[in-house]
Amino acid sequence: MKDIYILGIESSCDETSCSIVLNGTKEIATTISSQIDIHKEYGGVVPEIASREHVKNITIIIEECLEKAKMDIKDIDAIAITYGPGLIGSLLIGLEAAKTLSFIYNKPLVPVHHIAGHIYANSLEKEMQFPLLALVVSGGHTELVLMSDHYSFEKLGGTLDDAIGECYDKVARVIGLEYPGGPKIDKLASIGNPTYKLPVPLNDDSYNFSFSGLKSAVINLNHKLEQRGEEINKADLAKSFQTVAISSLINKTKKAIQNYNIKNLIVAGGVAASKGLRDEIFKLGEELNVDVTIPQMKYCTDNAAMIAAAGYYAYKLGRIADLKLNSKSSDKLS
Amino acid sequence: MITLYIDTSSSYLYAGIVKDSNLLVEVKADLGHNLSEMALPKISDMFEKAKLKACDINKIIVVNGPGSFTGIRVGLTIAKVFAWSLNIPITTITSLEAMAASVDDSRLLVPIIDARHGYVYAAIYDGDNVVLEPSYIKLEDVYKKISSECIFITNDSIELDYEKWDYTPNILTIVNKYADKKEIHAHKVNPEYLKLTAAEESKLNAS
Repeated sequence: MKDIYILGIESSCDETSCSIVLNGTKEIATTISSQIDIHKEYGGVVPEIASREHVKNITIIIEECLEKAKMDIKDIDAIAITYGPGLIGSLLIGLEAAKTLSFIYNKPLVPVHHIAGHIYANSLEKEMQFPLLALVVSGGHTELVLMSDHYSFEKLGGTLDDAIGECYDKVARVIGLEYPGGPKIDKLASIGNPTYKLPVPLNDDSYNFSFSGLKSAVINLNHKLEQRGEEINKADLAKSFQTVAISSLINKTKKAIQNYNIKNLIVAGGVAASKGLRDEIFKLGEELNVDVTIPQMKYCTDNAAMIAAAGYYAYKLGRIADLKLNSKSSDKLS
Repeated sequence: MITLYIDTSSSYLYAGIVKDSNLLVEVKADLGHNLSEMALPKISDMFEKAKLKACDINKIIVVNGPGSFTGIRVGLTIAKVFAWSLNIPITTITSLEAMAASVDDSRLLVPIIDARHGYVYAAIYDGDNVVLEPSYIKLEDVYKKISSECIFITNDSIELDYEKWDYTPNILTIVNKYADKKEIHAHKVNPEYLKLTAAEESKLNAS
């Protein structure tokens, strides 16, 4: 089989990234420019600032990636690009760059859904086996996706309100942790005890999630303790929150594995970096005798390696776009 | 010498290919909300019409603002990737310079772009002299700086106290005028917004 090199570009939020991946499984080189320190001052990602940074970085990131890989664009088989979902102004920079490269070098342009990218980050770890269940957990998504084959996505359920990552960040802000607070909650939880009583989110027969009630409960609890002048134990609150949030994810995931005869459970998205979640997922895999794949930490946050990996399978299936390809701030995974 | 010109600082795509002082092909199209989708296909069509390949280009002149933030970035990203990947010189000019260069008139030239809420992006040129550098400024303050007969150049429907010329670029004149302007490395080519983001402004006001 001929080797296929895909160059991926990702700019959907606050990371400008470029990567070259061989046959959808082997990372050759990746470069990432993170804007986290810039947005930290504003307590979250400011879209217009993110767009301004992307345009500054885009050619530098692509050049460094090619240099690292010791490759020329001429050696690339196709260019994969995150077309959405994400911040529209940010997405457009990567998109225009990818389209221009595709035009100049006459290379196929492969549109990749950002979430497909997070799912295919697992292809960089191990060959995916079907039927596969993907638990997608990030700042914008919380869903269970069933895959019977490559690029066959069936959403079993998703959050009815807040995404899990959003909820982590909110809880972090309430207890005074700096943006991005999600990872800090995870760290604090590892030294805390689940002493605070919090409501269990949406425990029903569906595959849906709901975290807004849990989020409000944490805000109210914090408020109540402050009014009483009681000192809050941040580690215990983090642990209490994380225990309830993760048990909700685990319960629904468990049910889906049992009902769909799943061979491979994968976790995708930024919250896959949570140690608390990773531990529970591995436990679940052992309990149900299911192969578990979780991306390495560096593939959990936004990166172009996952886009190039997803792009490989899309390219093999002939999912090619022309130069009219546009970015979409929201779009169904398909 | 074959030069590619790109300006997407408004809802219009203005682009052209100039070979040795001849305009081979040009596009002047109001793409509205489809700018990001259609800019590159239109540029690609232009190459086809001129029977040229991307790698035939020797130089890029790109407008880097002021104007629509998103629009500027679309054209600038295309231009940067062109210049970087083909390793050819690139230079930037402002949208206001492009507007002034397109008018052959001995009066003061006042290119303006509506920036809303009573503000405009404007400059004032008296021949080769710059009376007002490209600025984000109140329209009434632009008026105060006008000392002799003038003509306003704009693409927007702004009410003006002065004679107005509806902007359409003379791409050949612009390219000729800026043919020898100092080039910049593609990595260093950046937009000239002339305006901070709203988040930066409120942070500045708070401090």
